[in-house]
Amino acid sequence: MKTVNVAILSFAHFHAYSYARAFKELPNAKFLAVSDDDVKRGKAAADRFEADFIGDYKQLLKRSDIDAVVVTSENVKHAEMVIAAAEAGKHILCEKPLATRLKDADAMLAAVEKAGVKLQLCYVMRYSRPALMVKEAVERGEVGKLRVVTGTNRLRRFEDSWFFNPALSGGGAVMDHTVHLVDLMRWYTGSEVERVYTEIGTNIDKSLEVEDSFLTLLSFRNVVIGSIDGSWSRPETFYTWGDVTLEVLGSEGMIFLDAFKQVAYTCLAEEPKNPVQWHSWGCDVDKEMVADFINCIVEDREPKAAGHDGRQGTEVTLASYLSAHKGKPVTLPMQR
Amino acid sequence: MAEKLGVAIVGYGFMGATHMIAWSMVPEARITAVVGRNVAKAVESAYKYGARAYGSLKEALSAEAVDVVDVCTPTYTHKDLAVEAFEAGKHVLCEKPMALTLKDADEMIWSAGKADVKFMVAHVLRFFADYAKARGLVKQGLVGEPVIARAQRTSAAPPWGVESWFLEQAKSGGVTVDLAIHDVDFLRWCLGDEVRRVYAVACTRGATPGAMLEDHVLMVLRFRKGCIAHVEASWAMPGLHPFTTSLEVAGTKGMLNLDNQSTPPITITTDKKVERLNPETRPWVQGMPFPIDPYYAEIRHFATCVLEDREPMMDGEESRKTLEVVLAAADSGRSGKPVELSVEV
Repeated sequence: MKTVNVAILSFAHFHAYSYARAFKELPNAKFLAVSDDDVKRGKAAADRFEADFIGDYKQLLKRSDIDAVVVTSENVKHAEMVIAAAEAGKHILCEKPLATRLKDADAMLAAVEKAGVKLQLCYVMRYSRPALMVKEAVERGEVGKLRVVTGTNRLRRFEDSWFFNPALSGGGAVMDHTVHLVDLMRWYTGSEVERVYTEIGTNIDKSLEVEDSFLTLLSFRNVVIGSIDGSWSRPETFYTWGDVTLEVLGSEGMIFLDAFKQVAYTCLAEEPKNPVQWHSWGCDVDKEMVADFINCIVEDREPKAAGHDGRQGTEVTLASYLSAHKGKPVTLPMQR
Repeated sequence: MAEKLGVAIVGYGFMGATHMIAWSMVPEARITAVVGRNVAKAVESAYKYGARAYGSLKEALSAEAVDVVDVCTPTYTHKDLAVEAFEAGKHVLCEKPMALTLKDADEMIWSAGKADVKFMVAHVLRFFADYAKARGLVKQGLVGEPVIARAQRTSAAPPWGVESWFLEQAKSGGVTVDLAIHDVDFLRWCLGDEVRRVYAVACTRGATPGAMLEDHVLMVLRFRKGCIAHVEASWAMPGLHPFTTSLEVAGTKGMLNLDNQSTPPITITTDKKVERLNPETRPWVQGMPFPIDPYYAEIRHFATCVLEDREPMMDGEESRKTLEVVLAAADSGRSGKPVELSVEV
C-alpha cells in the first residue's frame, strides 16, 4: 500500500489536533512533522503526535519526504502557506474558510493549478453520514425539485482566541460559519448563489471586536431560496458545542437534518455549570475527511470539496459583509 | 346595552366556528346572529348556539340585539364588513390580517374612532400560553438584551377556508401576509420594539403567472434597538408535516426556545397510525395541553374591554404596525430589495 507522508503547518486552529489524531489512526498515512510560529504550541503538538518540529514552515516545505500538508493556521495566513506549499509540490488540505480576500483565493487556486497538486477544503460536513444521507435522498428525487434550504450552524461561545482578532481571522461569525452551510447548499442544489442579503446583529458579547450574530438570506441561480444563521449564539452552558441543522424543502417533500443529534446525554451532579452534556456517538467526520484526502492522493482523484468550492464559499462570505455594510443585497459574481 | 353582550359572528368557516365556541364560553355574552352567504350553513351553526342566521350583516344588525360584530370572513372582505359595523355603532373583533392594504387599515381605524367603539384584531398568538410565557421571560430580562431571534410556522397547504381562498394570493396576501403575520406581531410584542428594516425572499407556485401563490417565505427583520430576527412561514410543506411552530430568542445572558413538536405529552401508536393525542379539536393546537384555550382567552379579553370600557391589547393602531411590516416584507420579496419602515417621532 502506498503511504502518504503528512505535516501540519501551524496548530493555530484547534481542528489541527483532531486531524493529527486522525492521521495517526490511518493505515496509509504517516504523520511526520509540525511547524508553527508559536514555538511552544508547535513543540507540544510535535511531542504529542510523535513528529518532528520545524519552526519555519518554509523550511518544512523543503523536506522531500513530505507529500502533503495541512494548513490550519489563522485564516489570514492560509493564502501564503497554500501558495508556498503548492510551489513546493505538496498536496494541501486547507482549513475553512479558504481565504479572507477573493484575490487571495484566486491566487491560491492559480498556484495549485500550476503546480498540479491537490487542494482539498476542510468542509467536513460533506463527510457527515447524516448530511450524506440527505444528499442521497435529494439525488434519489425523494423531495422532488428543491425550493427552500434553510440552515443553522450556531456555536457555543468559546474562549478568547485569534478568532476574535479581525487582523488574524478576517472577521467573526460570518467569516467562521457561512462557508459550511453555503457548501452544503451548493452541494445539494447543484447551483450557485446569485444574491446575498445579510443583517449583522448588535453583539451578544459586547466585548468582541468581531460580529457574533448574523442572519443571511440567499437566492440561488436555480430559484431556490435559503437562509443561514451561523451565529455564536449558544451560551457557555449549552449542552453541546453547537449545531448543524438544515431544512430542505422540495416540491414533493421536506427533509430535516440535525446532523449532530447522535448523542448520549449526561446530567451530572458535579457539573453545575453545564448540568446537561451531549456525548456524540455519531460518525467521525474529521477522520473520514482526512482519510479521503489521503485516498485522493493515493488514487489520484479530485477531492469532494476542492479549491473552487472554497473560493465560492469565500465569495458568499465577502458578499455577506458587503451586504451588511450597505444594507442592500449583493449580486454574485462580485465585481472585481 | 342588553343584559348580555349580543354577538354577531360573520363567517361560519374554520375561524368563525372556533370563535363561536369561545364566545359561547363567555357568560356575559350571547351569540345572537350568525351571518354567512350560504344561509343553510349559517343556520347549522346558529342552531347550535340558539342564534339566528342571516345572509347579510345588514339584516342581522337590523333584526337582532348586537353589541359586538366578530368578523371571521376571508381577509379581502374585512374592511367593508368592519366599516359597516362601525357605522352602525358596533364594537368589532376582526380576524387577522386586519386588511390587505394600509389604506384599508386606516379606513377601519378612522371609522372605529369616529364611532368611538372598541376595535381589536385577533392576533391570537399573544394568548397562546407557550408564547405568552416566552414573552414574559424575555420581558423579565432572563436572556438579557435580545440580540437574535428566530420564529418558524410551517404547515401543508391549509385545508380550511371556504373554496380555499387562502390559496389565492389576491384574497389572502399569501403566506407572508396571512401566516408570517403571527410571528411578526409576536416579535414586536415580545421585544417591545419596532421593525426598522425588512428583507424577504419567497417561493411561489401556481399554474399561471397571474395566479401565483407565495407559499414559503424567509424574512430577516432588523428592529430599531438592533435585534435581528429570522421569520419563516410556509404552506408548502408535504401533507404529513405537522403544523410546526418554534421560537428562539438569544440574548446577552442566554437563550430561550419553544417548539410545539417537542412538547406534546402523549403519543398514541397503533398498527395503523402514530398520533400525538389531541385534547383539543383544532389542528394548530394539536397536542398542546394549554391551561386555557387561547381563542377563549382572546375573546375573553375583548369582551372584558367592551364591558369595562378598556382599550384592547391589539387595537387598530397596534395591529396596523404589524400589518405594515408584513406588507413591506411582501414588497421586498417581490422587488428583491430591503424595505425601510417609517420611523414615528
